[in-house]
Amino acid sequence: MLTQKPLVRWSLFGLACLLVIVIDMPIISLILNSFRSTAEILSSTSLIPAAPSLVNYAYVAQRTSFFQYLLNSLIMAGGGMAVSILAATLAGYVLSRFRTRVFRAYGTGLFLVQMFPVLLALIPLFILFRKLNLINTYYSVIIMYTVAQLPFATSMFRAFFDGIPHDLEEAARIDGANRLQSFALVVLPLAGPAIAAVAIFAFLFSYNEYLIAAVFLRRESLFTIPVGIQQFMQQYSTDWGSLMAAAVMAMLPTFVLFLFIQKYMMYGAIGSGVKG
Amino acid sequence: MSTRAIPSHSQELRPPRRSLPFDAFPFILLLPSALLIALINIYPFATGFYYSLQSGTLLQSGDFVGLANFIQLFRMADFRHALWFSAIFAIFSVFGSWAIGLLLALFLNMDIPARGFFRVALLLPWIIPSIVSVVSWRWLISDQSGLVNVMLQAIGLKPIYFLSTGSLATFSVIVVKIWRSFPFMMLSILAALQTLNRESYEAAAIDGAGRWQSFRYITMPHLLPISFVLWILMTIWSVNDFETPWLLTQGGPSNATENLSVLAYRYTFNLNDVGIGAAISFFTMLLLMIFAITLLSRQRET
Repeated sequence: MLTQKPLVRWSLFGLACLLVIVIDMPIISLILNSFRSTAEILSSTSLIPAAPSLVNYAYVAQRTSFFQYLLNSLIMAGGGMAVSILAATLAGYVLSRFRTRVFRAYGTGLFLVQMFPVLLALIPLFILFRKLNLINTYYSVIIMYTVAQLPFATSMFRAFFDGIPHDLEEAARIDGANRLQSFALVVLPLAGPAIAAVAIFAFLFSYNEYLIAAVFLRRESLFTIPVGIQQFMQQYSTDWGSLMAAAVMAMLPTFVLFLFIQKYMMYGAIGSGVKG
Repeated sequence: MSTRAIPSHSQELRPPRRSLPFDAFPFILLLPSALLIALINIYPFATGFYYSLQSGTLLQSGDFVGLANFIQLFRMADFRHALWFSAIFAIFSVFGSWAIGLLLALFLNMDIPARGFFRVALLLPWIIPSIVSVVSWRWLISDQSGLVNVMLQAIGLKPIYFLSTGSLATFSVIVVKIWRSFPFMMLSILAALQTLNRESYEAAAIDGAGRWQSFRYITMPHLLPISFVLWILMTIWSVNDFETPWLLTQGGPSNATENLSVLAYRYTFNLNDVGIGAAISFFTMLLLMIFAITLLSRQRET
């Protein structure tokens, strides 16, 4: 980064504002449109709403199952997040502290598993889950979300535990803690911020996911937000106002969580390939 | 280590590692994630191949047909089209998102006021749910009153219905894919740029290198390794991408924007032909593995 003259800096600032407006235009227009009626959306040539109103939001809140979808999304994304974080902290600790050939091979295998196309997994698992009566249950989706996050979460925790000195555990052991205690009571509390960041990543992935939920959840009362909005889009393709209000409401949790983790994003992007 | 070379006690002559009892502790900790991966990844890998050799449906397993499904694939016009579309879709979205990501990363690496805000704002297309981006893009491009058509009409052109013909829909799906993917490219390239130290530029400037020359001979070589990884990852992700084409066009109009993932989904879950669906997914995975291995080994050579 080179320091420049104020004039140059502020013209760069202007250019940056322009770029953000153009690139984020789909999001900006979505938000602005959600505050006007479908009739106005279809007739107006201006971007700014003439008479902003919350009528679309009222419609989505009162006349659709949006909050049911939101609840389903929270349960499944939250469940997938909790289980994957639990399993990945344990696995990350093993990969960090026990450097034998077996565990090194496991780490490589985890990386390869990420390349696996999700559709190839979905076909046999749909048949298996149907036999086990797991279609149209939260469990089928939670287990898929859990495993989808395991490789990334495990490699992040492993890298994080690598940075925690072994001396701390040895000191705890001298004080009489067993190995599980020295992990759970000494190492894990230090990993708090890292766990929170990876947990939010895991949650966001599952909250945004469409395909897995669409395959395993065929009953309307179980739909997640992406599946629910997709159905709405198919059935009421001309009701742009409600559709856009629902999309903005769906985006809100993503925005809020993203603001918490955006400073970890740099690290995440290098740490491994996260998302498609 | 030198201290081990001269054993003072006869006991230390024994190799110490072999005498240790089997340590179950790490295996117990690894068990939950290993079991989950075995169920969700290893099991489908094996059975998926098995299903591709059968003529079954989602409800009933069928007869063993050997490689007939794979031979059938190449006789199917929609498979050949999906293969072609996947290639076009991957090539344009990989290089489109890489080029835009590179330009924006170079831009954000400059000294701009409120740089952190702009970085966050430019990451938004990547973090919002795919369904949300599709809703906003559909309005922008497909409707007569959408922003793009309003602008076209304002400068005296006729409105274009971007999702109505095969070639326009192909173009639109690629544009939306680039829009959803460039932030990841930008973020990764930006991270690589920030590991470049200022001294190499200063040294180059002293040697008389201009801006273009320092970009060409310092920045680009530094970004090449990460770019290579990004091209491979992005190719895999776009061939496996189901959500962008499916949510935007459902593979239409008349299968024009159907990639291998959408095709496999349609055969399996709409036409209930598990044999063909599994064969398409398995073929896709083989194709991607060969692609990744070839490129990675070539990268190692250079």
